[in-house]
Amino acid sequence: MTEKIADGSEKKPRRRVDRRQFVQTVVSLGIAGTVISFLSLLMSLLPSAGAGGEEGEVDNVFTYGPEKGTWYSDRPGTEVKLEDFDQVGKGAGVLWRKKIPAIVIRVDESKLRGATATSGLIAFAGTCTHLCCISTWHLDRPNEDVLFCRCHDGVFDPYNIVKDIMANGTEYLGAKVIAGPPPRAAPIIPIEIQDGKVAGVPKDVGLYDYCG
Amino acid sequence: MKKLYEWFDRRLNISPLIAEAQRSVNFALPSTLTRQNRSKIFWFGYPFYYAGSIVAFLAILQGITGLLLAFHYVPSAVGDPGTPTQAYLSVQNIMKSIPLGALIRGIHQWGANLLVAALAIHTFWAFFRSPYRVGREISWLLGAVSLGLALAYSFSGYLLPWDQLGYWAATISVQIMRSIPALGDFIAQILLGGTTLSAATLARMYFYHVSLLPVVALVLVGAHILLVVLQGVSEPEEVWKPAKTGQTTGEKQAGPLFGPFIPHQIIPVLILSLITLGIVLLLGAYAVQMPGEPANRFLTPQFIAPEWYFLWAYGLLKWVGWLYEIVHFVPPAMIFGFDLLSAKVVGILIAAAMFLVLVLMPVIDRGDEVRVLRRPLKTAIGVWAIGLLSTLTLYALNEILSSMLSIPIGTMNLLLGSIVITVPLVVAAPFYVILHRHAAKAIMKEA
Repeated sequence: MTEKIADGSEKKPRRRVDRRQFVQTVVSLGIAGTVISFLSLLMSLLPSAGAGGEEGEVDNVFTYGPEKGTWYSDRPGTEVKLEDFDQVGKGAGVLWRKKIPAIVIRVDESKLRGATATSGLIAFAGTCTHLCCISTWHLDRPNEDVLFCRCHDGVFDPYNIVKDIMANGTEYLGAKVIAGPPPRAAPIIPIEIQDGKVAGVPKDVGLYDYCG
Repeated sequence: MKKLYEWFDRRLNISPLIAEAQRSVNFALPSTLTRQNRSKIFWFGYPFYYAGSIVAFLAILQGITGLLLAFHYVPSAVGDPGTPTQAYLSVQNIMKSIPLGALIRGIHQWGANLLVAALAIHTFWAFFRSPYRVGREISWLLGAVSLGLALAYSFSGYLLPWDQLGYWAATISVQIMRSIPALGDFIAQILLGGTTLSAATLARMYFYHVSLLPVVALVLVGAHILLVVLQGVSEPEEVWKPAKTGQTTGEKQAGPLFGPFIPHQIIPVLILSLITLGIVLLLGAYAVQMPGEPANRFLTPQFIAPEWYFLWAYGLLKWVGWLYEIVHFVPPAMIFGFDLLSAKVVGILIAAAMFLVLVLMPVIDRGDEVRVLRRPLKTAIGVWAIGLLSTLTLYALNEILSSMLSIPIGTMNLLLGSIVITVPLVVAAPFYVILHRHAAKAIMKEA
């Protein structure tokens, strides 16, 4: 609002704030501030940082997984031995460091491309790079030498090792996706033989955390 | 009884409220008790008007059985993978030792399934009849959100027994949620307390299922039903005359075509509720599903599938992947730093777009004509959507079908994949052509 002053110039009148307006403004600002500060309590919805728990010494020897109807289903949780893999094509679903599912396979080393086997064995992370289901070997596709993911029919070729990049930018080697929706190769887990037992080399364990 | 009422009325003055309520529930629906105007459309549409009331009845039933189950269920998933947790054991206890426990859980389980089915019918019926065109936009919006609530209910409920099926169905859903560009991990952490399923997830799911969702649902569905009472049921299209030029909506025909709520409408509602109750009791008593193996995060079961009403989404993801494979399209890993074109992200975006279209129907679809047969394009799109959801559901079963019919999976995928593309179109196209002619003729006649 402006008012004409006699000499023709325009002058802004002083805006008057009466007591009612003042109280209304202060109270609404106060309520808004309270609501906003209470919203910060929603931070508590985030998971606690220490939920994972730090592990101490971890045994790197693979242990047999819980799959039923396999040649190793009588010994889940026991250590994986080199001598168990007595013929080419024999493979097992195993666990590494008690929490990382993996698949160990005896491969025909002459057909393997892109990587070398250790004592004829090669191991891959068993968690499908698509939606984190657990891949199988010779269970769903008994006649094909592929890692098979049951959830959306993802298929990985363990004989064709390719370079790939994780979402966080890490480069790695893995079994190529030959069918289905998985976006990335199934990462190799480097292995070593310790007194006849098959163990993973804990070089880059964080790589296998892609499923959160 | 009358004395008691008067005692309360003297103190609380409730009689004006009751009178108002009685007046407002006398809305019109096609009634079994009125004999006028039973055309073919009437008989075709008649049962569908009551789908909503069946949903309401089942929701009450779910509330009662859920309350009873909550007395015995223990929401704890602490334990080694593959071993029975407290949650799993308590569900087994309900099934085996609690008197009538198996029946109550059976009713709860089948009630949920039938509720979603009735809700699907209610939704599609509403979609075809375009009630938002006659001033029911708010009701439509509340309804669409309630549909989402029902799915959230079933999702959280499915996980509670902490068995293999629930665990892996939830795992897949969580991983899909995580693939939402930019926000995925954050949403998963807020909703589930982590990016993988854990004991914390079960605690949150239990809270949603028994505490948060009931409150939200009571408010939203309450408002949805209150609007029906305030606005009256969206009358059958026969009562609507086409809008004349200058009018914003069609006007109501006069005459006692449809009966008042009491007694005309309440009777079919009660009859249908009783039939529904009978079906739920039968299924609950004889077809209740025991929880499967205890959840094991190191072992994915062989045929893993979500509940039937989520199968279409599951099929959509598989189908997009198949499509990519057929056309040899390898999506780039990153676009602007986000994983935007991989099959799962495209799938989730398509599903979200479908829901958004449903929510925004009042904005997208404007105009006056509400009659199904006079709206060839919209009716055909609705038919196409039904066809698409059904064929995608079929596609989700590709592995099971292929091993059952012993057809190689590649052939099966090719067969089902082309069905998803062709069948909805083949079914919807005749609808469009025939209705288009019909509408043109009818308009000629009216002119």
